[in-house]
Amino acid sequence: MTPQALAAGTPAPSASASGAALANSRPARWRAPLAFICGFVLLAATVEIVLDAAQRHSPLIPRSPQISGWLASFGGERLGYRVFLIAILAASVAYGVLLALVHTRARAAVPVTEGEGEGSATEGAGAPVEVRDDTLRERTVSRWAIGLVALLNLIVFVGPILISTDVFSYLAYARMGVVHGIDPYTHGPVAIVGDPVFYYVGHDWLRVATAYGPVYTLISYPLGALGLIGGLWGMKLYALLASAATLALTWRVARRRGRDRVFALLAVGANPLYVIYGLGGAHNDLIMLALMMAAVAFTLSDRDAAAGAAVVVGALVKATVAVLLPFMILARRRSAALYGALVALGLCALAGYLAFGIHGIDVVSALNRDSAFVSTDSFPNELAHLFGKPGVFPVDHDLLKAALVLIVLHLLWRTYRGYDWVAASGWALLAISVTSTWLLAWYILWPLPLAVITRDRRLLAATLFVQGLFIVHQTSPLFAPVS
Amino acid sequence: MSRVRLIETTLLILFGLLLAGATVNDVARQTHVNQRLIEDLRTWRAYTGRDYHNLSIEQTLFGERSQREVVCGNTSPGPPKTRVQICLAIWGPVVGGRRVVHGGWYLPPDTEEDLRRHRYGCFGPASAGICPTAAEAAVERGSAHSGAGA
Repeated sequence: MTPQALAAGTPAPSASASGAALANSRPARWRAPLAFICGFVLLAATVEIVLDAAQRHSPLIPRSPQISGWLASFGGERLGYRVFLIAILAASVAYGVLLALVHTRARAAVPVTEGEGEGSATEGAGAPVEVRDDTLRERTVSRWAIGLVALLNLIVFVGPILISTDVFSYLAYARMGVVHGIDPYTHGPVAIVGDPVFYYVGHDWLRVATAYGPVYTLISYPLGALGLIGGLWGMKLYALLASAATLALTWRVARRRGRDRVFALLAVGANPLYVIYGLGGAHNDLIMLALMMAAVAFTLSDRDAAAGAAVVVGALVKATVAVLLPFMILARRRSAALYGALVALGLCALAGYLAFGIHGIDVVSALNRDSAFVSTDSFPNELAHLFGKPGVFPVDHDLLKAALVLIVLHLLWRTYRGYDWVAASGWALLAISVTSTWLLAWYILWPLPLAVITRDRRLLAATLFVQGLFIVHQTSPLFAPVS
Repeated sequence: MSRVRLIETTLLILFGLLLAGATVNDVARQTHVNQRLIEDLRTWRAYTGRDYHNLSIEQTLFGERSQREVVCGNTSPGPPKTRVQICLAIWGPVVGGRRVVHGGWYLPPDTEEDLRRHRYGCFGPASAGICPTAAEAAVERGSAHSGAGA
């Protein structure tokens, strides 16, 4: 699994490109080892967090049944803020350097599609050998990237639940419906005080009914019947499969849209927030992201009805992704996406209504309820502090909603004028997370898969910048550890 | 670069700078708060003569921005909150690595939350108005006894 191929870039079979490749061969000596070191740091930081988390009794790790006790025998110590933050910062730096290396490799190469590569190979006597070398190099780079991302995902999968108690809420809602016959849309987990999962649900969510869509609730129901441990592994497996689907679709769509698929894969799959917070917490946002990327993939093969349906199904997992639909319809200028969305909405709403009654399809009231929450990490809260206010006031919620509406209207206008609808959707998702008063790490993952497949590099820069700020905001315990 | 794109990019950079400023400001603010909490914990340990680490800090009892904290901890060894706890109301400048204790109260064993009705043995000016009156304490004791006998 050595990334030597990163060193040489992918020279194109033309004289000018060969010159570029030669010029580019000078940094080759340090680029491959540096990429290897970055991959190693990402793996080491992830292993450190997972092994320390397996020791339990950490303020960063939620109370959890023992699902990965065997990892404790590998060593490690109780995960404290200091180790966690240093690991996250190290992983973030390694991630940034790795992306820069992969990006410069892609820039050194002239984009060659498979067909073009084959055609140009016949132009000169030396060309076929060069193209074969390039293909081999690219294949090596691809395998290395896939291997790294797969390892990161698997390490987190075998470990304990990280950072968040949300997965216990998912399981509690499932068990409420399957085991106790209680509607999770009208009751909070407090309705199943005697259930083993109740002990692990976050205190703030004990009296809160589910805010997730009926599609998610229905697919989570089979896991409710598996008991606490079985259900928890089921949730982790859902997250892993959703992550794999998101990454596979990102890879595929990046290639179809002429983007560097290795860069796209690493930008999403090696992202520390994606791996540690998203997958580590087994968040259902990953299922939403997989359906979002499926919708984009469908549009590329002109299956607009399926694309519209995928967005609706995604929105009935977690409502946020619904923001893609107007951009898709406006850009595609076809009614098929709308019809597909309407059919999917009708079918899913019917299933939701039959399973949960009217509360199961009332996603809007759940969104309104959650939008009133305030988290310390939210940017509105930080801005309030900057301007000398103790926090976000009710009027601020209205101002933020108005700002979000203006941004979305601007993006719709831009899309109507020919701007890439995928990029517009990514900007809208980023705007939602930045203007939200309830911001959690996995919310700023939403625009990432879209950002890596668009030509507008500002979106990726803005997304990574916001993620960077989020990580910086966590670091105060490093400067003054309270114990 | 089109005019619209130029305007968008300019606005994005300005907004990014604003967010960066807000983030750095918040990290500095939280670091200051943490420094103060460290002094509070040190004060509690010096006042009680106990080197316990499982202490709880309440920052909002005297107001969100009052910079007045209440630190509670066990009076004897044991898991957090399972023994009689002593709570100290602490505020003022740091002098010699400590802040000033302005009063306090005790909480019975196994009390999860520091509620007015649970407080007893109150002392110092800080406890005025936030501890139960003698009549309230009698009612609380009565209800506790009747609860125990039920």
